[in-house]
Amino acid sequence: MTDLLELLVEPLRYPFMVRGLLASIMVGTLCAVVGSYVVLRGMAFFGDALAHAILPGIAIAYLLEINLFWGALAMALLTAVGIGYLSRRGQVKEDTAIGVVFAASFALGVAILSTVQSFSVDLTHILFGNVLGVSNTDLWLTAALGAIALLFVILLYKELLVISFDPILAATLRLPLTALQYLLLVLIALTVVVSLQTVGLALMVAMLVTPAATAYLLTRRLWHMMIVGAIIGAVSSVAGLYLSYYVNVASGAAVVLVCTAFFAVAFLFAPGRGAVWTWLRGRRASST
Amino acid sequence: MAAILQVHNLTVRYNGDSALEDVSFDVQAGERVAIVGPNGAGKSTLFNALLGLVHPTSGKVEASGAEFGYVTQRSAVDWSFPVTVHDAVMMGRITRMGWLRWQRASDREIVRRCLEQVGMLEYATRQIGELSGGQQQRVFIARALAQEATILLMDEPFAGVDTPSQEAILVILDRLRDQGATVLVSTHDLNLAVERFDRLALLNRQLVAYGRPREAVTPQSLAAAYGGSALWRGEDYAMVLGDIDCCGEEGHHHD
Repeated sequence: MTDLLELLVEPLRYPFMVRGLLASIMVGTLCAVVGSYVVLRGMAFFGDALAHAILPGIAIAYLLEINLFWGALAMALLTAVGIGYLSRRGQVKEDTAIGVVFAASFALGVAILSTVQSFSVDLTHILFGNVLGVSNTDLWLTAALGAIALLFVILLYKELLVISFDPILAATLRLPLTALQYLLLVLIALTVVVSLQTVGLALMVAMLVTPAATAYLLTRRLWHMMIVGAIIGAVSSVAGLYLSYYVNVASGAAVVLVCTAFFAVAFLFAPGRGAVWTWLRGRRASST
Repeated sequence: MAAILQVHNLTVRYNGDSALEDVSFDVQAGERVAIVGPNGAGKSTLFNALLGLVHPTSGKVEASGAEFGYVTQRSAVDWSFPVTVHDAVMMGRITRMGWLRWQRASDREIVRRCLEQVGMLEYATRQIGELSGGQQQRVFIARALAQEATILLMDEPFAGVDTPSQEAILVILDRLRDQGATVLVSTHDLNLAVERFDRLALLNRQLVAYGRPREAVTPQSLAAAYGGSALWRGEDYAMVLGDIDCCGEEGHHHD
């Protein structure tokens, strides 16, 4: 027992590890809550695209020597609104609009970065995250922006639920449907930016989708799904970080793999809905 | 009795294509109106115009003091959504609650009462996907009631619903009529429209006929709404036509 405690406490001697853990818990929680809408509205591709599309924002911020955070945030908001606008026009389908914008934006980012020799190391961090490199400033930014996003999700819970479940009802109730839909895109953008340093943009979609999808298999109400998802996201983030400390694997990848393990267990064994129970029921039915 | 809903010369065109052309009719409070017509006849457009979701090209809708409640078509919703029956009905309360407000005990009481009215109270904690099609439709009726709507618009409520469930919905509509609720239903089922509704609107972009069902449905009006060929191909249209043609007003029942 004391050995286990020792294993858990030992990494906490390092301030960078404490900062990393705090950042991971915040990101895991936020991603699962906002990710619930990503899962329910089928926006996984949008989330993935948004994460990739912020690369030029980061590149420009790097060249201007300002905090990469702000470059990423500006680019994320621009992309979210741009995709929203293109798909609302109705001339191209939404996933086509996303494909065009995201690839173009990512290419622009790579093009800018390819002109900068010294960037190769940081690029890896941006792609795959560097949670152990989180600074105090980053931690505060994460906390502040994450809190803002969560606040919106909580205060507009019933409105966002209706526009996701039954947009026609939302329109007949005179809710500002378009504004709320854009708000949701902006919340996803905010979440992506906040999570950038922890998981990196290549693995972002996993944090948005996997804990929420796991919770979806275990719950029947949206707010239950958000809470269970937040717990799974936070626990996975912490477990992944310890894993990366002791086994010495990349932290972002470790977090995502732990999330995926949770998902696999829920997929197979979720009460009443798990694949194993369905299979057993099928066998029992056919044998009698 | 005063008309609760008046539609005056309503015309809706999308990019120049007419979806509704000069449609006028009145609905009295407490009446049950069936809107029947072929696909693309403008039934959904009419509902959207009544709800204010599309702006009429010309004409207007007058519904003094009435609140519209929309009963969403079942196929328009993802039933695997993590929402319980209670949650779904509570959605009707949203604008009554107002921004940044949570549900109060009075809201929960209203939801309970509306679920009771449609006989779904015992299912309140079920996830909506666990219900049958007819039960899902009843939950959406309860939602419109929770909204305190006085005019219910139901888009194809009988599509994909078995006969007992259809009967259960009609019984609920009877009860609502006793409370003075007005109901407009779009349906493909001409037989049902003739036998169970107070008024029948035969729509094919224009309002072909409107009135008491057995007066509105004539071989001529059906031919005008559906076109001669479609009329004879569709089994139940032919049945109704036969009914009126050969048996007069007796109202034979078909199984």
